[in-house]
Amino acid sequence: MSAMDWQAFALSLRLAGVTTAILLAIAVPLAALIVLGRGRWLAAVEALSTLPMVLPPTVLGFFLLVLLGPRTAFGRGIAAVLGHPLAFSFDGLVVGSVIYSLPFAVQPLVAGFASVDTALVEAARLLGAGPVRLVSSIFIPVARRSFLAAIVLSFLHTVGEFGVVLMLGGDIPGATRTLSIVLYDQVESFDYAAANRTAAVLLGLSVLALAAIYSTSRKRGSEQRA
Amino acid sequence: MPKQLFAALLPLLVLAPLGAQAPLRVAAAADLEPLLPPILSQFERATGIHAEATYQSSATLTAQIENGAPFDVFLSADLSFPKRLIEAGLAGAAGPGDSAAPITYARGTLVLWERKDSHLLPPSLDVLRSPALNRLAIANPERAPYGRAAVAALKSMKLYDRLKPRLVTAENIAQAAQFVDSANADAGLISLTSALTPTLFADGSYFVMPRDLYPPIEQGAVIISKTGQRAAARKLLDFLLSPAVQAELAKSGLTPVR
Repeated sequence: MSAMDWQAFALSLRLAGVTTAILLAIAVPLAALIVLGRGRWLAAVEALSTLPMVLPPTVLGFFLLVLLGPRTAFGRGIAAVLGHPLAFSFDGLVVGSVIYSLPFAVQPLVAGFASVDTALVEAARLLGAGPVRLVSSIFIPVARRSFLAAIVLSFLHTVGEFGVVLMLGGDIPGATRTLSIVLYDQVESFDYAAANRTAAVLLGLSVLALAAIYSTSRKRGSEQRA
Repeated sequence: MPKQLFAALLPLLVLAPLGAQAPLRVAAAADLEPLLPPILSQFERATGIHAEATYQSSATLTAQIENGAPFDVFLSADLSFPKRLIEAGLAGAAGPGDSAAPITYARGTLVLWERKDSHLLPPSLDVLRSPALNRLAIANPERAPYGRAAVAALKSMKLYDRLKPRLVTAENIAQAAQFVDSANADAGLISLTSALTPTLFADGSYFVMPRDLYPPIEQGAVIISKTGQRAAARKLLDFLLSPAVQAELAKSGLTPVR
């Protein structure tokens, strides 16, 4: 119990990596739609994408457990496609994490895209740029730091995710026992020495990774300014 | 505007604590949540003492008390947590004669629970031996008393090694029940108190696990050492042990000790 649980550590990183990749694929078009689109329904889209922050994570996990379970047609459909039910599996955690961390990907992107000079957007449009070109050549490069923030926040929020994993995971080593679950178990078992070690590894690596990411973006930013 | 709002609220902040006698603060194990509120109301009617309960896992409450949480009484789901607090000098003697041991106020009962629409046979020991049992939900055996009892029962039946890969572990007994009630697990070893709550009673059926399969789940109470309301705390424990309340515990799925 007292050794560092590297299996859980690797699982957390894998979960956060897969979740972040999926989130970017969803959040970039969504944020572009919210910023570029017209119509009141976009306010509803933006509100919906922020909603996972409102629910207590264990409650969100409970709703997902029911939704993805065999008692709904949706849950049965997914189980038929995948060949196994989603609850208590890595894939289930990915689905839960994508929903749980969605606001942390969408919000920085919307803020960043919205702050891009409209003159720049209009000029690109006059030159014939479609939405895809606008996003890849204008929004992402100009709002680089927001793009980076979306990646970092999605990743870290998923690493630190607890309530949804607790509810949806079933604590299976190698499949659903993530580092935050291990850390919680250590605290609840009064194994404070192990908890301190686990937390120190998690915090240390996060600080290193964040500093590395932010320093590269700072360098590029200053080159651009010079 | 915010300044005016603050000025308007300030008297409330100052006056609120003067309003009433401080309530008796009860740290209660999560499995008591369905049954303790009416008992505390009866206690207030009988004695005039207002008690407020906080429900958490016994481990969480123990950690909170170790770090100075302002509780007066701790009703644990087992004996190990109260003993830990007594050894640390943070809690004492709940029983008569100031014996330095937690007082057992009830015993827990382990049941096998299934949904009524389960593909398995109605709950019995045969269900645990059945190859059709794919996922069995239990509470965390490292610390949840019912989780510990569930593993002990499976080991007594020599089924633990076979079922281990099929176990899904929940943080607590309520969550283990939710795993089964949402049909994500086929069956669960949960507490009788959970199985008797209205939702689970309507959704499923249970089988009481034979008592010789697991060590008794004794629920212990202690009075927190630094309480300023020792007399009121003792009254609450006496009330819990009174025949009327013990009978009520039995109806809710706990086994009386008196």
